[in-house]
Amino acid sequence: MRDQWTDRLSEYLDGELAAAERAALEGHLATCAECGATLAELRRVVARAGALDDRPPTADLWPAIAQHIGVVSLPARRARRRIAFTVPQLAAASVALTLVSSATAWLLIRPGAGGPVAEAPTPAPSAPATLATAAMYPDKRYAAQVADLERALERGRGQLDTATVRVIEKNLRIINRAIREAQSALAADPANSYLNLHLAQEMRRKLELLRQAAALAGARS
Amino acid sequence: MLTTLTTLAALALQQTDTTVPVRSGARLEVNNFGGEIAVKTWSRSAVRVAANHSSRDRIQIVASDQSVHVKSEGGRHGPGTIDYNITVPTWMALNLSGVYTDIKVDGAQNEVTAETVQGEVTVLGGSGTVSLKSVQGSVTLEKAKGRIDLNSVNEEIKATEISGDISAETVNGDITLLQIESANTEANTVNGDITYDGTIKDAGRYRFSTHDGDLRISVPEKANVSVSVSTFNGDFNACFPVKLTGKTKHRFSFTIGSGSARLEVESFGGDIKICRPGQVSKKESDKDKDKEEE
Repeated sequence: MRDQWTDRLSEYLDGELAAAERAALEGHLATCAECGATLAELRRVVARAGALDDRPPTADLWPAIAQHIGVVSLPARRARRRIAFTVPQLAAASVALTLVSSATAWLLIRPGAGGPVAEAPTPAPSAPATLATAAMYPDKRYAAQVADLERALERGRGQLDTATVRVIEKNLRIINRAIREAQSALAADPANSYLNLHLAQEMRRKLELLRQAAALAGARS
Repeated sequence: MLTTLTTLAALALQQTDTTVPVRSGARLEVNNFGGEIAVKTWSRSAVRVAANHSSRDRIQIVASDQSVHVKSEGGRHGPGTIDYNITVPTWMALNLSGVYTDIKVDGAQNEVTAETVQGEVTVLGGSGTVSLKSVQGSVTLEKAKGRIDLNSVNEEIKATEISGDISAETVNGDITLLQIESANTEANTVNGDITYDGTIKDAGRYRFSTHDGDLRISVPEKANVSVSVSTFNGDFNACFPVKLTGKTKHRFSFTIGSGSARLEVESFGGDIKICRPGQVSKKESDKDKDKEEE
């Protein structure tokens, strides 16, 4: 159930409510468990997003992701004083940031990093953002980065001990299973922010393991 | 600047034993392709390097004001297996790495970085930044303080009597954190249990997450903490009464005391249990059960 304060929670979190509104909202929070829970969710998402690796990407992946999850364009953002993101948008942005961060890590460590990166084709406009969109249907670049890393690993697997290869493949299967289970659960409960964050975490972990494996193979070649 | 370069060609012998003086603040750096790196400490301002190795391997010890660097060359046959026994001053920072290498440290009182691919990492002591990593081996740390970063892929992580900020992550293994004094701890695994027995400090941040495993987390009686619990297929159980708020299908929360600390516990497919300190360690019967499942 939503009430008049639900959409003001992000402003409250940003400290942008007038004193009177702030006092009224705090009074409301004392009696509304649902708003309290939503506020806690918002804080979690913001904290998670804030804790992400903030290395700048070598390629600007944000416009495509922003369009994909329904966040307004950069010029439009500049035109406004501020944007108050909804909970779904914040969660989706958190997922997207996670993916960007992981993809960036790969871009930074991959052979030949630092050179110009071709612009990706703009994805087709998608449905309005929901909690599930970014996580269940990640940007094509995520899949591309995974594929690149898998190819790098395949190229370098001859450099790795067979036991190490087996361990990496076994753990990738474990992560893939976790991703599939989270996606399946999310399909049944698309508004579940825990599942969104959990799926994003497992996807990040897959990239990290692939990156680690590719780096190991690269170090041995 | 004092610079000593010692190259020992052990062509016929299979043992190296040499001692070099070091100045305060110097760091030990060891890279060993395969075998073992065992480091212990003494009160002397010197580093002793004893190594058992093939006659084909050449041990190089390069000492300067800033560091003592130990490495080997295997010639055209490539690097061989070397077992190092190294004794260093207690104050010395350690940077140890290898591929098929077990790493053991006993008595360190400064920063420790240890990284291997196939091998166990076991460290007793350490302060400041302590970073231990193994792809295919367990990681064990005892009696350390500072910023602790523990990472494995296919094995368990154990940390005992630790003080400081802790980050522990593995994919396929348990994470066990016991007797912890921390205001900031995060532990993640995909396929494994997580056990945390330690402090919950005011304004502290604690996050424990697994996909397929159980969580056992301790919350001291006088803690002030907001607890957020998420599980998709698991059960929640507390050893003491809690009043749930913000309850949804797969997530709920509760507050103890003022709630100034934040504790997040998440398991997709496992059970979550919150108890008092000393009540969360895995029972022997559970360990036996785990072994049977293996």
